[in-house]
Amino acid sequence: MGNIFSLVRNELGKIYVMKSTWAMYVFLVALVLFSFIMNTVTDSVDSETTYTDDWRTELQEENQTLTEEIETAGEDDPFVESTNMGIIQQNTYMLENDIRPYGYHAGNFVLDNLFTTSLVSLFVIIIAGGIVANEFRWGTIKQLLIRPISRGTILLSKYIALLLFTLFTVVFLLATSAIVGAIVYGAPVVNPEIIVNRPDGMASNALLPEIFMQYGFRVLNIVVLATFGFMISSIFRSSALAIGLSMFLMFIGTTVAQAMARYEWAKYILFANTDLSVYFSSYGPIREEMTIGFSVAVIAVYMVVFIITAWTIFIKRDVA
Amino acid sequence: MLVSDSAMAIRGLHKTIGRKKIIKDLNFDIRPGEVYGFIGPNGAGKTTTIRMMVGLIGITSGDVVIKGNSIKKNYKKAISEVGAIVENPEMYPFMTGKQNLKHFARMTRGITDARIDEVIRLVGLENAIQTKVGKYSLGMRQRLGIAQALLHSPSVLILDEPTNGLDPAGIREIRRYIRKLAVEDNVSVIVSSHLLSEIELMCDRIGVIKNGELIAVRDLHEKTDSEQSIVSLDVHPRDEAIEILNTAQHIKVLESDDQLKIQINRNDVPGLVTTLVQKDIQVYGVTVIQSTLEDQFLEMIGENVIG
Ligand SMILES: Nc1ncnc2c1ncn2[C@@H]1O[C@H](COP(=O)(O)OP(=O)(O)O)[C@@H](O)[C@H]1O
Ligand SMILES: [Mg+2]
Repeated sequence: MGNIFSLVRNELGKIYVMKSTWAMYVFLVALVLFSFIMNTVTDSVDSETTYTDDWRTELQEENQTLTEEIETAGEDDPFVESTNMGIIQQNTYMLENDIRPYGYHAGNFVLDNLFTTSLVSLFVIIIAGGIVANEFRWGTIKQLLIRPISRGTILLSKYIALLLFTLFTVVFLLATSAIVGAIVYGAPVVNPEIIVNRPDGMASNALLPEIFMQYGFRVLNIVVLATFGFMISSIFRSSALAIGLSMFLMFIGTTVAQAMARYEWAKYILFANTDLSVYFSSYGPIREEMTIGFSVAVIAVYMVVFIITAWTIFIKRDVA
Repeated sequence: MLVSDSAMAIRGLHKTIGRKKIIKDLNFDIRPGEVYGFIGPNGAGKTTTIRMMVGLIGITSGDVVIKGNSIKKNYKKAISEVGAIVENPEMYPFMTGKQNLKHFARMTRGITDARIDEVIRLVGLENAIQTKVGKYSLGMRQRLGIAQALLHSPSVLILDEPTNGLDPAGIREIRRYIRKLAVEDNVSVIVSSHLLSEIELMCDRIGVIKNGELIAVRDLHEKTDSEQSIVSLDVHPRDEAIEILNTAQHIKVLESDDQLKIQINRNDVPGLVTTLVQKDIQVYGVTVIQSTLEDQFLEMIGENVIG
């Protein structure tokens, strides 16, 4: 086990020596820029409004204006009412709980860009699908296995490299969002208190823990998919199959789980559990008896099964 | 031979895949510092045997013992003594030769940068080592494969068909450093081939495998008096020469078209030439065209089977 670090370094080396890996990072930057452009073009975020130290008066005035807007629009435009009521509630919550607003800033941009982690899922699935299968395709598996290292350790080094790749890529994405956000929207303070929506209504949380929690849930999701792809890659030695199956599950897994929600057994479906963020939002899990502890346990069982299956087959197989 | 004396001992080795018996009861020993030729037609089971030697595939029954360590029971210790190329010298095509060597060097403890440079020099890849392996010719990949196999200074080197796809100059060069490794560093080398002629000159001993069975082992240094060769004679006049060969020397002429082909002990060739010259036969050329070893080999495995 002593040289597991060298092995992981080898595996990361093989990932990052590929031009296609760097292309992935270019895509991620492009997606973040695209997100900013869409914000600007569709005017979907209010990056104009700023607040001074006299923010209490400013919030009250803002609420005043918003209420008047609702009255003028009346029944004709219910859309105005729902949007404005949302903002009014948020402003009121801030006034009542003494939370200072800062307008739209880099932190909000990072949280709004949570969707960009889907692209990371895709890239991690591609790497996971190839990490074992490609060694068979290149024929290098023979050279890899005739070393004084157990097959289990070789497989472990590949799995660790996959987890590190996931981590590096998500951190890179976060940093890109934060930097782009800071440049275009500014970063007033490092860790302001922000308003979040929880199952029992509005609440507040410090920005950084919120970011880590939300992105952390996404990372967990990605790791589950990656582990699945890794298993398929090790069993079938085919990256196409591993990538295809993982992507299929990524796209339909949650939908299928939701469609089956009325059956009790649906809660044991992996993809009914992989998104822990539902326990921290107004969505909630697909069945109300489910708890976060239950979901963590289900994920753990699946992961252990995936890893043990991959391991058992990999260490036993004749490598021809 | 005792298991403990040999660099590698193969004992009662069997491999069955499905219902097919691919390897049947192989028994042989590789001595320290010897070059062992593992010869057999395509499909004889050479690669399968080598895969079992290095633990890539399971052993149905029997064992491979390398420097006293069983590949089955003591895998890590056994494999530490082995460097190998199995089937083809496959490396990462998107990395340079140097990056490939560094990759494999990291998999064994204690391989220094100096050692990496040393093996690069040994196989003569200094000028191509910063080039991506995808651009290498087969010969260059063979060399890189050998360099990789030698990184950790193994006591047993296994090369599966190392002369495949090489031109005669390339084969000569491989022969040169295989001999050097065996003689200077006491490395035992196993080279497989389906062509005896390509590896005969680098081997100390050969084992012939056919249909998964070892059918003959020959020591190439034991060239005894009974060693027969086929010699071609370019002489004039031919008929008189045939007469002399048949009557005076009791040598049968096998074929006589332009030249005469005879079977004769190598050691008797000078005497024969003297006799012919004394009897006023003009000798234009004497060529040993085939060692009987090759002849026997072809006979053993059946000429038409060779791919
Ligand atoms: N995985 C396998 N399944 C079934 N037959 C195999 C397998 N691998 C090799 N063989 C058969 O075993 C025989 C020996 O093959 P191999 O060891 O590659 O021969 P060689 O290296 O001497 O050319 C061949 O007849 C081949 O078809
Ligand atoms: Mg072969």
